[in-house]
Amino acid sequence: MATLEAPELSAAVGNLPDFTTEAYKDAYSRINAIVIEGEQEAHDNYIAIGTLLPEQAEELTKLARMELKHMKGFTACANNLGVEADMAFAKEFFAPLHNNFKTALAAGKVPTCLLIQALLIEAFAISAYHIYIPVADPFARKITEGVVKDEYTHLNYGQEWLKANLESCREELEQANRDNLPLIRRMLDEVAGDAAVLHMDKEDLIEDFLIAYQEALTEIGFSTREIARMAAAALVG
Amino acid sequence: MFGLIGHSSSFVQAQEKARELGLEEMAEADMLAWCSAPPQLLETFKVTSRTGKTIEGTYIDSCFVPEMLSRFKTATRKVQNAMEMAQKNGINVTALGGFTSIIFENYDLSKFQQIRNTILEWERFTTGNTHTAWVICQQVERNAPLLGIDLSRAKVAVVGATGDIGSAVCRWLSQKTGVAELLLVARQQQRLQDLQTSLGSGTILSLEEALPQADVVVWVASLPQTLSIDHDSLRKPCLMIDGGYPKNLDAKVAGDGVHVLKGGIVEFWQDIGWQMMEVAEMENPKRQLFACFAEAMLLEFEGIHTNFSWGRNNISLANMELIGEASLRHGFQAIGLSPTQLAAAQGGLELAAA
Repeated sequence: MATLEAPELSAAVGNLPDFTTEAYKDAYSRINAIVIEGEQEAHDNYIAIGTLLPEQAEELTKLARMELKHMKGFTACANNLGVEADMAFAKEFFAPLHNNFKTALAAGKVPTCLLIQALLIEAFAISAYHIYIPVADPFARKITEGVVKDEYTHLNYGQEWLKANLESCREELEQANRDNLPLIRRMLDEVAGDAAVLHMDKEDLIEDFLIAYQEALTEIGFSTREIARMAAAALVG
Repeated sequence: MFGLIGHSSSFVQAQEKARELGLEEMAEADMLAWCSAPPQLLETFKVTSRTGKTIEGTYIDSCFVPEMLSRFKTATRKVQNAMEMAQKNGINVTALGGFTSIIFENYDLSKFQQIRNTILEWERFTTGNTHTAWVICQQVERNAPLLGIDLSRAKVAVVGATGDIGSAVCRWLSQKTGVAELLLVARQQQRLQDLQTSLGSGTILSLEEALPQADVVVWVASLPQTLSIDHDSLRKPCLMIDGGYPKNLDAKVAGDGVHVLKGGIVEFWQDIGWQMMEVAEMENPKRQLFACFAEAMLLEFEGIHTNFSWGRNNISLANMELIGEASLRHGFQAIGLSPTQLAAAQGGLELAAA
C-alpha cells in the first residue's frame, strides 16, 4: 500500500472566514446578489412555465412563491452583514442563461425551459448551498439550510415532468444540455474568485453541481453512458 | 447488488478510456477539469459462481487518477463522492479498489460521514483487504515450493509489515503457514515493535538488511519510483510477491533467479462480461481482477452485508479462512507463476543441482 502524507486537518476541513472584513463583504455583495437574482428569476421562470402548462399552473405558482420567500431570506442575510447586493452584476451574470430561457419560452419548448430552470439552476443552487452552509455565518447558515430542502422539491418537479415525457423530448434535452451546460461552467468560472473568498472551492462547486445534475438525469431515465456524455460538456467550454 | 469503486492507473490512461467510451470532451479535457469530474457509474454486469448462483454488480469510476494524490481535497472528494454514489444506488457492498481505500484510510475519512444530505453507511463498504491478504498468503504457500523454497526453512520478508494487509499476512504466515522466520520491514518503529510483540516472533530489519536474507519477499507497500534494488545481493531463487499498488516491481528486479508474481490478483473460473478490468492492465481482463474487488463479489454471493474489511489491523485469521473458503467455493484462484517463469526456474534448479 502507498503511504500518503496526511495534511493538517484544520486546513482541510475549512475554518470559517472572517465575515467582517471588507474583502469578505465585497465578495459577498456579488455572491449574495447572484443568489437573490437567481431566486427572483426562478420565481418568474416558474410562473412563465405555467403559461405553457396551464393544467399545472397552480403547482408552479406554489413553487414560484417558495422562491420569493428564499429571496427575502437571502436579502436578510446581506442586511445582517451590512452588505448591499450588487444587483447589476447579478443581472448580467444570469443574462446568457436567461436569454436562452426566454427564447425557449417564446418557442413553447417546455423541456428546454425545465432543463434550464428546474435542473440546471436548481442543481447549481443545491450544490452551492451545500458547499456554502459549512462556511456561512450563523445567521445565513440557518436560512440556507431551510432553503436547500425546498430546492430539492423544485428539482424533483422538473425531474418528474421530464421523466414522464422523456421519449418525446430526448433530443430536445440533449440539445438544450449542449447549449446551456457550458454556460453554467462559465458562470462558475466567473464567480470562482469571489467564492474562494467565502471559502468555497471552485472544484467542489463544479463537481457537486455535476453530481446533482447527473442524479436528476438518472432519475429522468437517461442511461449511464448518455449521462457521462452529457455531463462532460460542462468540463470543457 | 455489489459494487466496485476503481480508477484509471494514470491520467493518460483515463483520457484513452474516455475516448473509447465516446466521451470526447473528457478525453480532451485537462487535468484541472478532471479534478472536477464527478464519479461515473460505468457498467452493470452479472457474475455467476461455480455454485451456479448469479449476482449483479456495478463498476463506478471515481474519476480519480494517481496524479491527484498530491491534491488532498480533490483525492478525498473523489473517494467520498464515489462512495455516496454507490450508496445512493442501493448497492449492498462496495469494494474500495486501488488507491481509494488507501486514501480513505490514510486521510482518516471515517471522520467525515456526511456527504451533502447523505450519511454514509460504513457497513455498505469494504476495503477488500481480508481477501487480498489471504490471496497473498496462498501465493506464497503455493509458489515458493515450485521454486524449490521450503517455507519451513525459509526467511520471508514482509515489506509494509505494519499495514492492514501486511500485518494480516504476517499473522497468517507465522501461525498458519509456519515459515521459519519472518523479517519485518516498515517505516514506523513503534508499530513494528507492537507487531513483533503481538506475533511473538519476527525480526525487525531495514529493507537493505532484509532483502539479501530473504527467500521470499512480500511487498505490500508501494515502491518509490526512485527505489533501486541490488539484484546481485538477492538470494537465488527468490520469490517476490508484488502486492503493492501500483505494481511496478517486475521491471525493477525480475530475472536470473528472481521471480516476481503480481500479488493479490485472482482469476475467476469463467469469463466475466465486463470491460473495466482492461483498464487495470490485467493479462486476462475477462477473468483476472483485484482480490479486493472479488471480496465484494464473495460477500454478495454469501449474503454477508457488512463492512467485512474495515479500519486498520482488524483482519482476523478466522475471517481470512472464511473468505478463503468462499473464494475457492465460488471459483476464484490466486494467480501463480506463469509456465515461462516456472520453466526458467526449473532451469535454475537443474543448474544448482549440477
